[in-house]
Amino acid sequence: MNSLFLVRAVAFNSFSESVRNRFFTLFAVFAFTAVYASVLAGVMAVDQESRVLADFGLALIELTALAYALFGASSALLKEAETKTIYLVFSRPVPRWAYLAGKLGGALLTAGLMLLIMAAMHLSLLAFRGFGPPPFYAWALAGTFLKLAVIVSFAFFVSLFSTSAVSTLVISSIMWTLGHFASEARFLAERLPGLKGTAVSVFLWLIPNLQLFNARDAAGAAAAPGPAVLLPAAAWVAASFLGSLWLLSRKEF
Amino acid sequence: MTAPAVAFSGVEKTYKRPRLLGAEYNTAVKGLSFEVRPGEVTGLLGLNGAGKTTIMKLITGLLFPTAGRVSVFGHSPADVAAKARVGFLPELPYFPPQVKPAAALAYYGRLSGLSGAELSLAVGSSMHRTGLEPHAGKRISEFSKGMLQRLGLAQALLHKPDLLVLDEPVSGLDPLAIHDIRALLAGLNAEGRAIFLSSHSISEVEKLASRVLIMVRGALAATVTRAQWEASPGGLEKLFVEAVK
Repeated sequence: MNSLFLVRAVAFNSFSESVRNRFFTLFAVFAFTAVYASVLAGVMAVDQESRVLADFGLALIELTALAYALFGASSALLKEAETKTIYLVFSRPVPRWAYLAGKLGGALLTAGLMLLIMAAMHLSLLAFRGFGPPPFYAWALAGTFLKLAVIVSFAFFVSLFSTSAVSTLVISSIMWTLGHFASEARFLAERLPGLKGTAVSVFLWLIPNLQLFNARDAAGAAAAPGPAVLLPAAAWVAASFLGSLWLLSRKEF
Repeated sequence: MTAPAVAFSGVEKTYKRPRLLGAEYNTAVKGLSFEVRPGEVTGLLGLNGAGKTTIMKLITGLLFPTAGRVSVFGHSPADVAAKARVGFLPELPYFPPQVKPAAALAYYGRLSGLSGAELSLAVGSSMHRTGLEPHAGKRISEFSKGMLQRLGLAQALLHKPDLLVLDEPVSGLDPLAIHDIRALLAGLNAEGRAIFLSSHSISEVEKLASRVLIMVRGALAATVTRAQWEASPGGLEKLFVEAVK
Protein backbone atom coordinates (compact mmCIF):
# COMPACT_ATOMS: atom_id res chain seq x y z
CA MET A 1 0.00 0.00 0.00
CA ASN A 2 1.23 3.46 -0.85
CA SER A 3 2.09 5.20 2.43
CA LEU A 4 1.82 8.64 0.82
CA PHE A 5 -1.78 7.82 -0.02
CA LEU A 6 -2.35 7.17 3.70
CA VAL A 7 -0.61 10.43 4.68
CA ARG A 8 -2.88 12.32 2.29
CA ALA A 9 -6.01 10.56 3.59
CA VAL A 10 -5.18 11.42 7.23
CA ALA A 11 -4.19 15.00 6.32
CA PHE A 12 -7.37 15.76 4.38
CA ASN A 13 -9.56 14.14 7.01
CA SER A 14 -7.84 16.16 9.73
CA PHE A 15 -8.13 19.36 7.65
CA SER A 16 -11.80 18.74 6.88
CA GLU A 17 -12.65 18.01 10.55
CA SER A 18 -10.85 21.15 11.74
CA VAL A 19 -12.50 23.41 9.18
CA ARG A 20 -15.95 22.01 10.05
CA ASN A 21 -15.28 22.56 13.76
CA ARG A 22 -17.00 25.63 15.22
CA PHE A 23 -13.67 26.88 16.63
CA PHE A 24 -12.50 27.59 13.10
CA THR A 25 -15.44 29.94 12.54
CA LEU A 26 -15.05 31.46 16.01
CA PHE A 27 -11.39 32.25 15.41
CA ALA A 28 -12.17 33.69 11.96
CA VAL A 29 -14.84 35.97 13.50
CA PHE A 30 -12.43 37.00 16.26
CA ALA A 31 -9.74 37.74 13.67
CA PHE A 32 -12.18 39.81 11.61
CA THR A 33 -13.14 41.87 14.68
CA ALA A 34 -9.52 42.34 15.78
CA VAL A 35 -8.22 43.25 12.31
CA TYR A 36 -11.01 45.74 11.66
CA ALA A 37 -10.69 47.21 15.19
CA SER A 38 -7.09 48.08 14.29
CA VAL A 39 -8.51 50.83 12.06
CA LEU A 40 -8.71 52.93 15.27
CA ALA A 41 -4.95 52.61 15.80
CA GLY A 42 -4.44 53.61 12.16
CA VAL A 43 -6.57 56.72 12.53
CA MET A 44 -4.60 57.76 15.64
CA ALA A 45 -1.34 57.35 13.71
CA VAL A 46 -2.43 60.20 11.36
CA ASP A 47 0.19 60.34 8.56
CA GLN A 48 1.64 56.91 9.43
CA GLU A 49 -1.72 55.18 9.04
CA SER A 50 -0.63 52.85 6.23
CA ARG A 51 2.41 51.60 8.17
CA VAL A 52 0.51 51.19 11.44
CA LEU A 53 -2.37 49.36 9.78
CA ALA A 54 0.03 47.00 8.01
CA ASP A 55 2.17 46.26 11.11
CA PHE A 56 -0.74 46.07 13.53
CA GLY A 57 -2.71 43.79 11.20
CA LEU A 58 0.21 41.44 10.56
CA ALA A 59 0.92 41.18 14.30
CA LEU A 60 -2.74 40.38 14.99
CA ILE A 61 -2.76 37.81 12.19
CA GLU A 62 0.31 36.12 13.61
CA LEU A 63 -1.00 36.01 17.17
CA THR A 64 -4.46 34.80 16.18
CA ALA A 65 -3.07 32.17 13.82
CA LEU A 66 -0.64 31.05 16.54
CA ALA A 67 -3.44 30.75 19.11
CA TYR A 68 -5.60 28.80 16.64
CA ALA A 69 -2.80 26.52 15.45
CA LEU A 70 -1.59 25.75 18.99
CA PHE A 71 -5.13 25.14 20.18
CA GLY A 72 -5.61 22.60 17.39
CA ALA A 73 -2.17 20.99 17.60
CA SER A 74 -2.18 20.52 21.36
CA SER A 75 -5.44 18.56 21.30
CA ALA A 76 -5.17 16.80 17.91
CA LEU A 77 -3.57 13.56 19.11
CA LEU A 78 -5.03 13.69 22.63
CA LYS A 79 -8.59 14.01 21.31
CA GLU A 80 -8.19 11.02 19.01
CA ALA A 81 -6.90 8.93 21.92
CA GLU A 82 -9.67 10.09 24.26
CA THR A 83 -12.47 9.44 21.75
CA LYS A 84 -10.82 6.12 20.82
CA THR A 85 -10.85 7.14 17.15
CA ILE A 86 -7.21 6.16 17.15
CA TYR A 87 -8.25 2.51 17.74
CA LEU A 88 -9.91 2.50 14.33
CA VAL A 89 -6.77 3.96 12.75
CA PHE A 90 -4.03 1.89 14.38
CA SER A 91 -5.96 -1.37 14.09
CA ARG A 92 -5.58 -0.82 10.32
CA PRO A 93 -2.39 -1.15 8.25
CA VAL A 94 -1.41 2.48 8.90
CA PRO A 95 2.26 3.06 9.84
CA ARG A 96 2.57 5.42 12.78
CA TRP A 97 4.86 7.76 10.82
CA ALA A 98 2.20 8.10 8.11
CA TYR A 99 -0.47 8.91 10.68
CA LEU A 100 1.76 11.48 12.38
CA ALA A 101 2.76 13.09 9.07
CA GLY A 102 -0.90 13.22 8.05
CA LYS A 103 -2.01 14.85 11.30
CA LEU A 104 0.82 17.37 11.08
CA GLY A 105 0.01 18.05 7.43
CA GLY A 106 -3.66 18.52 8.28
CA ALA A 107 -2.83 20.93 11.11
CA LEU A 108 -0.57 22.98 8.83
CA LEU A 109 -3.14 23.03 6.02
CA THR A 110 -5.75 24.36 8.45
CA ALA A 111 -3.35 26.93 9.89
CA GLY A 112 -2.44 27.99 6.33
CA LEU A 113 -6.09 28.42 5.40
CA MET A 114 -6.73 30.45 8.57
CA LEU A 115 -3.72 32.61 7.68
CA LEU A 116 -5.04 33.21 4.14
CA ILE A 117 -8.53 34.11 5.40
CA MET A 118 -7.09 36.62 7.87
CA ALA A 119 -4.77 38.04 5.19
CA ALA A 120 -7.79 38.55 2.92
CA MET A 121 -9.57 40.41 5.75
CA HIS A 122 -6.49 42.53 6.36
CA LEU A 123 -5.95 43.38 2.69
CA SER A 124 -9.62 44.31 2.38
CA LEU A 125 -9.19 46.69 5.32
CA LEU A 126 -6.10 48.26 3.73
CA ALA A 127 -8.00 48.65 0.43
CA PHE A 128 -10.97 50.13 2.30
CA ARG A 129 -8.62 52.78 3.74
CA GLY A 130 -7.15 53.41 0.29
CA PHE A 131 -3.82 51.57 0.69
CA GLY A 132 -2.28 48.76 -1.34
CA PRO A 133 -0.48 45.75 0.17
CA PRO A 134 2.99 46.57 1.55
CA PRO A 135 5.88 45.19 -0.58
CA PHE A 136 6.99 42.62 2.02
CA TYR A 137 3.49 41.31 2.62
CA ALA A 138 3.80 37.84 1.04
CA TRP A 139 7.12 37.24 2.81
CA ALA A 140 5.60 38.31 6.12
CA LEU A 141 2.84 35.74 5.68
CA ALA A 142 5.33 33.09 4.57
CA GLY A 143 7.49 33.85 7.63
CA THR A 144 4.46 33.55 9.92
CA PHE A 145 3.57 30.23 8.30
CA LEU A 146 7.11 28.93 8.86
CA LYS A 147 6.91 29.95 12.52
CA LEU A 148 3.58 28.13 12.78
CA ALA A 149 5.08 25.02 11.16
CA VAL A 150 7.95 25.01 13.68
CA ILE A 151 5.76 25.59 16.74
CA VAL A 152 2.93 23.27 15.66
CA SER A 153 5.35 20.37 15.13
CA PHE A 154 6.87 21.16 18.53
CA ALA A 155 3.37 21.13 20.08
CA PHE A 156 2.75 17.68 18.55
CA PHE A 157 5.96 16.46 20.19
CA VAL A 158 5.02 17.92 23.58
CA SER A 159 1.45 16.58 23.38
CA LEU A 160 2.83 13.04 23.26
CA PHE A 161 4.30 13.24 26.75
CA SER A 162 2.36 16.01 28.49
CA THR A 163 -0.64 15.15 30.61
CA SER A 164 -3.14 17.62 29.12
CA ALA A 165 -3.79 19.91 26.18
CA VAL A 166 -3.40 22.93 28.51
CA SER A 167 0.13 21.95 29.53
CA THR A 168 1.04 21.44 25.84
CA LEU A 169 -0.39 24.86 25.05
CA VAL A 170 1.58 26.50 27.87
CA ILE A 171 4.89 24.76 27.07
CA SER A 172 4.57 25.55 23.34
CA SER A 173 3.68 29.18 24.04
CA ILE A 174 6.76 29.48 26.24
CA MET A 175 8.86 28.00 23.41
CA TRP A 176 7.32 30.47 20.95
CA THR A 177 8.19 33.38 23.26
CA LEU A 178 11.74 32.08 23.88
CA GLY A 179 12.15 31.62 20.13
CA HIS A 180 11.72 35.35 19.65
CA PHE A 181 14.60 36.07 22.03
CA ALA A 182 16.91 33.30 20.81
CA SER A 183 19.63 35.64 19.46
CA GLU A 184 19.72 37.78 22.61
CA ALA A 185 19.75 34.68 24.82
CA ARG A 186 22.66 33.18 22.82
CA PHE A 187 24.56 36.48 23.01
CA LEU A 188 24.17 36.54 26.81
CA ALA A 189 25.03 32.82 27.12
CA GLU A 190 28.33 33.39 25.26
CA ARG A 191 29.30 35.81 28.02
CA LEU A 192 28.66 33.35 30.83
CA PRO A 193 31.94 31.93 32.16
CA GLY A 194 33.05 28.29 32.04
CA LEU A 195 30.86 25.21 32.10
CA LYS A 196 27.78 27.24 32.96
CA GLY A 197 28.07 29.18 29.72
CA THR A 198 28.62 26.01 27.66
CA ALA A 199 25.62 24.28 29.25
CA VAL A 200 23.34 27.27 28.65
CA SER A 201 24.61 27.64 25.06
CA VAL A 202 23.90 23.97 24.30
CA PHE A 203 20.42 24.29 25.81
CA LEU A 204 19.73 27.42 23.77
CA TRP A 205 20.55 25.62 20.51
CA LEU A 206 17.49 23.47 21.19
CA ILE A 207 15.31 26.56 20.99
CA PRO A 208 14.21 27.46 17.45
CA ASN A 209 15.28 30.94 16.41
CA LEU A 210 11.93 32.32 15.29
CA GLN A 211 13.49 35.73 14.63
CA LEU A 212 14.80 34.26 11.39
CA PHE A 213 11.28 34.28 10.00
CA ASN A 214 10.40 37.84 11.04
CA ALA A 215 9.87 39.55 7.70
CA ARG A 216 8.43 42.57 9.46
CA ASP A 217 11.75 43.21 11.28
CA ALA A 218 13.70 42.94 8.04
CA ALA A 219 11.27 45.01 6.03
CA GLY A 220 12.59 48.27 7.49
CA ALA A 221 16.01 47.37 6.15
CA ALA A 222 14.48 46.36 2.83
CA ALA A 223 15.87 42.86 3.26
CA ALA A 224 13.06 40.40 3.71
CA PRO A 225 14.09 36.82 4.54
CA GLY A 226 14.93 34.76 1.49
CA PRO A 227 14.25 31.12 0.62
CA ALA A 228 17.28 30.14 2.74
CA VAL A 229 15.12 30.36 5.88
CA LEU A 230 13.28 27.27 4.68
CA LEU A 231 16.27 25.18 5.75
CA PRO A 232 16.23 25.98 9.49
CA ALA A 233 12.43 25.72 9.49
CA ALA A 234 12.61 22.28 7.84
CA ALA A 235 15.32 21.20 10.29
CA TRP A 236 13.26 22.16 13.36
CA VAL A 237 10.10 20.58 11.95
CA ALA A 238 12.01 17.39 11.11
CA ALA A 239 13.59 17.26 14.58
CA SER A 240 10.21 17.64 16.28
CA PHE A 241 8.68 15.09 13.90
CA LEU A 242 11.36 12.51 14.64
CA GLY A 243 11.00 13.12 18.39
CA SER A 244 7.23 12.71 18.08
CA LEU A 245 7.61 9.54 16.05
CA TRP A 246 9.96 8.07 18.63
CA LEU A 247 7.36 8.70 21.35
CA LEU A 248 4.37 7.60 19.24
CA SER A 249 5.99 4.34 18.17
CA ARG A 250 6.31 3.36 21.84
CA LYS A 251 2.86 4.54 22.82
CA GLU A 252 0.07 2.09 23.66
CA PHE A 253 -3.62 2.87 23.36
CA MET B 1 -0.75 -26.16 7.80
CA THR B 2 -2.94 -23.06 8.10
CA ALA B 3 -1.78 -20.62 10.76
CA PRO B 4 -4.32 -19.98 13.53
CA ALA B 5 -6.27 -16.73 13.21
CA VAL B 6 -5.02 -15.78 16.69
CA ALA B 7 -2.43 -17.48 18.87
CA PHE B 8 -1.48 -16.39 22.39
CA SER B 9 1.49 -18.13 23.98
CA GLY B 10 2.29 -17.38 27.63
CA VAL B 11 1.15 -13.78 27.21
CA GLU B 12 1.38 -11.32 30.05
CA LYS B 13 0.39 -7.67 29.97
CA THR B 14 1.32 -5.39 32.83
CA TYR B 15 0.31 -1.73 32.80
CA LYS B 16 2.74 0.76 34.27
CA ARG B 17 1.28 3.90 35.77
CA PRO B 18 3.91 6.50 36.68
CA ARG B 19 3.55 7.98 40.15
CA LEU B 20 5.32 10.86 41.84
CA LEU B 21 7.79 8.42 43.39
CA GLY B 22 8.27 5.33 41.23
CA ALA B 23 5.44 3.61 39.41
CA GLU B 24 2.39 1.45 40.03
CA TYR B 25 2.11 -1.86 38.17
CA ASN B 26 -1.10 -3.66 37.34
CA THR B 27 -1.09 -7.04 35.64
CA ALA B 28 -4.15 -7.27 33.38
CA VAL B 29 -3.48 -10.70 31.87
CA LYS B 30 -0.93 -13.35 32.80
CA GLY B 31 0.19 -16.72 31.46
CA LEU B 32 -2.42 -16.59 28.73
CA SER B 33 -2.30 -19.24 26.00
CA PHE B 34 -5.06 -20.00 23.53
CA GLU B 35 -5.79 -20.20 19.81
CA VAL B 36 -8.63 -19.06 17.58
CA ARG B 37 -8.95 -21.12 14.43
CA PRO B 38 -9.80 -19.57 11.05
CA GLY B 39 -13.57 -19.53 10.45
CA GLU B 40 -14.38 -20.12 14.13
CA VAL B 41 -16.59 -17.95 16.37
CA THR B 42 -14.94 -17.65 19.77
CA GLY B 43 -16.57 -15.86 22.66
CA LEU B 44 -14.74 -14.16 25.49
CA LEU B 45 -16.56 -13.92 28.80
CA GLY B 46 -15.48 -12.45 32.09
CA LEU B 47 -16.42 -10.00 34.80
CA ASN B 48 -15.35 -6.33 34.62
CA GLY B 49 -11.56 -6.06 34.86
CA ALA B 50 -11.02 -9.68 33.79
CA GLY B 51 -8.78 -8.56 30.90
CA LYS B 52 -11.16 -8.90 27.95
CA THR B 53 -10.46 -5.49 26.39
CA THR B 54 -6.71 -5.96 26.97
CA ILE B 55 -6.84 -9.19 24.94
CA MET B 56 -8.72 -7.40 22.12
CA LYS B 57 -6.12 -4.62 22.06
CA LEU B 58 -3.23 -7.10 22.06
CA ILE B 59 -4.74 -8.81 19.00
CA THR B 60 -5.15 -5.51 17.16
CA GLY B 61 -1.67 -4.24 18.00
CA LEU B 62 -2.88 -1.34 20.13
CA LEU B 63 -1.03 -2.81 23.11
CA PHE B 64 2.28 -4.68 23.19
CA PRO B 65 2.66 -7.78 25.40
CA THR B 66 4.97 -7.48 28.40
CA ALA B 67 5.89 -11.17 28.02
CA GLY B 68 4.94 -14.05 25.74
CA ARG B 69 3.95 -13.99 22.08
CA VAL B 70 0.83 -12.95 20.21
CA SER B 71 0.40 -13.83 16.55
CA VAL B 72 -2.36 -13.08 14.06
CA PHE B 73 -2.41 -15.37 11.02
CA GLY B 74 1.21 -16.16 11.83
CA HIS B 75 2.33 -12.51 11.95
CA SER B 76 2.98 -10.07 14.77
CA PRO B 77 -0.20 -8.00 15.39
CA ALA B 78 1.83 -4.86 14.58
CA ASP B 79 2.62 -6.15 11.06
CA VAL B 80 0.78 -4.64 8.12
CA ALA B 81 0.14 -8.21 6.88
CA ALA B 82 -1.77 -9.02 10.09
CA LYS B 83 -3.67 -5.73 10.28
CA ALA B 84 -4.87 -6.03 6.69
CA ARG B 85 -6.75 -9.21 7.67
CA VAL B 86 -8.35 -7.90 10.88
CA GLY B 87 -11.49 -5.81 11.38
CA PHE B 88 -11.93 -4.28 14.84
CA LEU B 89 -15.03 -2.93 16.52
CA PRO B 90 -14.10 -1.26 19.82
CA GLU B 91 -16.65 -0.72 22.56
CA LEU B 92 -18.62 2.51 21.94
CA PRO B 93 -16.88 3.59 18.74
CA TYR B 94 -16.72 7.35 18.04
CA PHE B 95 -17.27 9.02 14.68
CA PRO B 96 -17.19 12.75 13.87
CA PRO B 97 -20.80 13.89 14.36
CA GLN B 98 -20.91 16.41 11.51
CA VAL B 99 -20.31 13.96 8.64
CA LYS B 100 -22.57 11.43 6.94
CA PRO B 101 -21.91 7.69 7.38
CA ALA B 102 -20.58 7.19 3.85
CA ALA B 103 -17.94 9.91 4.39
CA ALA B 104 -16.79 8.36 7.67
CA LEU B 105 -16.62 4.93 6.06
CA ALA B 106 -14.75 6.30 3.04
CA TYR B 107 -12.04 7.64 5.36
CA TYR B 108 -11.57 4.29 7.10
CA GLY B 109 -11.72 2.54 3.74
CA ARG B 110 -8.83 4.69 2.48
CA LEU B 111 -6.87 3.82 5.63
CA SER B 112 -7.44 0.17 4.75
CA GLY B 113 -5.87 0.81 1.34
CA LEU B 114 -9.06 1.04 -0.71
CA SER B 115 -9.54 3.69 -3.38
CA GLY B 116 -11.65 4.61 -6.41
CA ALA B 117 -14.42 2.25 -7.49
CA GLU B 118 -13.26 -0.42 -5.03
CA LEU B 119 -13.74 2.04 -2.16
CA SER B 120 -17.22 3.11 -3.34
CA LEU B 121 -18.22 -0.52 -3.67
CA ALA B 122 -16.89 -1.41 -0.20
CA VAL B 123 -18.68 1.56 1.42
CA GLY B 124 -21.97 0.70 -0.31
CA SER B 125 -21.69 -2.99 0.55
CA SER B 126 -20.85 -2.32 4.23
CA MET B 127 -23.78 0.08 4.57
CA HIS B 128 -26.09 -2.43 2.93
CA ARG B 129 -24.98 -5.33 5.11
CA THR B 130 -25.33 -3.36 8.33
CA GLY B 131 -28.72 -1.88 7.39
CA LEU B 132 -27.43 1.70 7.23
CA GLU B 133 -28.61 2.43 3.69
CA PRO B 134 -31.94 4.03 4.76
CA HIS B 135 -29.94 6.41 7.01
CA ALA B 136 -27.35 7.39 4.41
CA GLY B 137 -28.66 10.97 4.21
CA LYS B 138 -28.41 11.62 7.96
CA ARG B 139 -25.48 13.13 9.78
CA ILE B 140 -23.86 10.91 12.42
CA SER B 141 -24.99 13.38 15.12
CA GLU B 142 -28.55 12.18 14.38
CA PHE B 143 -27.66 8.51 14.88
CA SER B 144 -29.02 6.41 17.76
CA LYS B 145 -26.70 4.14 19.75
CA GLY B 146 -27.85 1.17 17.67
CA MET B 147 -27.05 2.97 14.42
CA LEU B 148 -23.62 3.98 15.72
CA GLN B 149 -22.93 0.36 16.57
CA ARG B 150 -23.97 -0.65 13.04
CA LEU B 151 -21.63 2.01 11.67
CA GLY B 152 -18.87 0.64 13.90
CA LEU B 153 -19.45 -2.77 12.46
CA ALA B 154 -19.60 -1.37 8.92
CA GLN B 155 -16.11 0.18 9.26
CA ALA B 156 -14.78 -3.16 10.50
CA LEU B 157 -16.17 -4.94 7.42
CA LEU B 158 -14.90 -2.52 4.75
CA HIS B 159 -11.78 -4.43 3.75
CA LYS B 160 -13.42 -7.89 4.00
CA PRO B 161 -11.27 -9.05 6.94
CA ASP B 162 -10.67 -12.73 7.70
CA LEU B 163 -10.92 -12.06 11.42
CA LEU B 164 -13.41 -9.79 13.18
CA VAL B 165 -12.50 -8.67 16.70
CA LEU B 166 -15.62 -7.31 18.36
CA ASP B 167 -15.63 -5.73 21.81
CA GLU B 168 -19.17 -5.78 23.23
CA PRO B 169 -20.89 -5.66 19.82
CA VAL B 170 -24.45 -5.69 21.23
CA SER B 171 -23.91 -3.63 24.38
CA GLY B 172 -26.84 -1.28 25.07
CA LEU B 173 -28.76 -2.16 21.91
CA ASP B 174 -32.50 -2.76 21.62
CA PRO B 175 -33.73 -6.33 20.91
CA LEU B 176 -34.33 -5.69 17.21
CA ALA B 177 -30.83 -4.28 16.70
CA ILE B 178 -29.37 -7.23 18.63
CA HIS B 179 -31.31 -9.61 16.39
CA ASP B 180 -30.07 -7.88 13.22
CA ILE B 181 -26.44 -7.78 14.35
CA ARG B 182 -26.57 -11.42 15.41
CA ALA B 183 -27.90 -12.37 11.96
CA LEU B 184 -25.17 -10.30 10.31
CA LEU B 185 -22.43 -11.96 12.37
CA ALA B 186 -23.82 -15.41 11.64
CA GLY B 187 -23.78 -14.52 7.93
CA LEU B 188 -20.18 -13.33 8.11
CA ASN B 189 -19.15 -16.52 9.87
CA ALA B 190 -20.92 -18.57 7.21
CA GLU B 191 -18.64 -16.85 4.67
CA GLY B 192 -15.68 -18.34 6.55
CA ARG B 193 -14.61 -15.33 8.63
CA ALA B 194 -13.36 -15.95 12.15
CA ILE B 195 -15.08 -13.90 14.85
CA PHE B 196 -13.64 -13.18 18.27
CA LEU B 197 -16.15 -11.37 20.42
CA SER B 198 -16.32 -10.29 24.03
CA SER B 199 -19.58 -9.67 25.78
CA HIS B 200 -21.25 -9.42 29.15
CA SER B 201 -24.30 -11.09 27.64
CA ILE B 202 -23.89 -14.84 28.13
CA SER B 203 -27.00 -15.59 26.06
CA GLU B 204 -25.62 -13.70 23.05
CA VAL B 205 -22.29 -15.48 23.18
CA GLU B 206 -24.13 -18.76 23.64
CA LYS B 207 -26.14 -18.18 20.45
CA LEU B 208 -23.16 -17.29 18.26
CA ALA B 209 -19.99 -18.92 19.52
CA SER B 210 -18.79 -22.45 19.04
CA ARG B 211 -16.26 -22.06 21.86
CA VAL B 212 -16.02 -19.72 24.83
CA LEU B 213 -13.03 -18.57 26.85
CA ILE B 214 -13.82 -17.57 30.43
CA MET B 215 -11.41 -15.08 31.98
CA VAL B 216 -11.01 -14.58 35.71
CA ARG B 217 -8.71 -11.82 37.02
CA GLY B 218 -6.48 -11.88 33.96
CA ALA B 219 -6.14 -15.65 33.66
CA LEU B 220 -7.94 -18.14 31.47
CA ALA B 221 -10.19 -20.01 33.94
CA ALA B 222 -11.97 -22.29 31.47
CA THR B 223 -12.46 -23.08 27.80
CA VAL B 224 -15.92 -24.40 27.08
CA THR B 225 -17.11 -25.83 23.76
CA ARG B 226 -20.68 -25.70 22.47
CA ALA B 227 -21.04 -29.45 23.01
CA GLN B 228 -20.03 -29.04 26.67
CA TRP B 229 -22.49 -26.28 27.51
CA GLU B 230 -25.28 -27.96 25.55
CA ALA B 231 -24.72 -31.11 27.60
CA SER B 232 -24.65 -29.16 30.87
CA PRO B 233 -28.02 -28.84 32.68
CA GLY B 234 -27.56 -25.14 33.49
CA GLY B 235 -26.05 -24.30 30.10
CA LEU B 236 -23.23 -21.83 29.61
CA GLU B 237 -24.45 -19.54 32.39
CA LYS B 238 -23.96 -22.21 35.06
CA LEU B 239 -20.50 -23.08 33.74
CA PHE B 240 -19.58 -19.39 33.71
CA VAL B 241 -20.77 -18.83 37.29
CA GLU B 242 -18.85 -21.89 38.47
CA ALA B 243 -15.72 -20.63 36.78
CA VAL B 244 -15.76 -17.06 38.10
CA LYS B 245 -16.96 -17.76 41.70
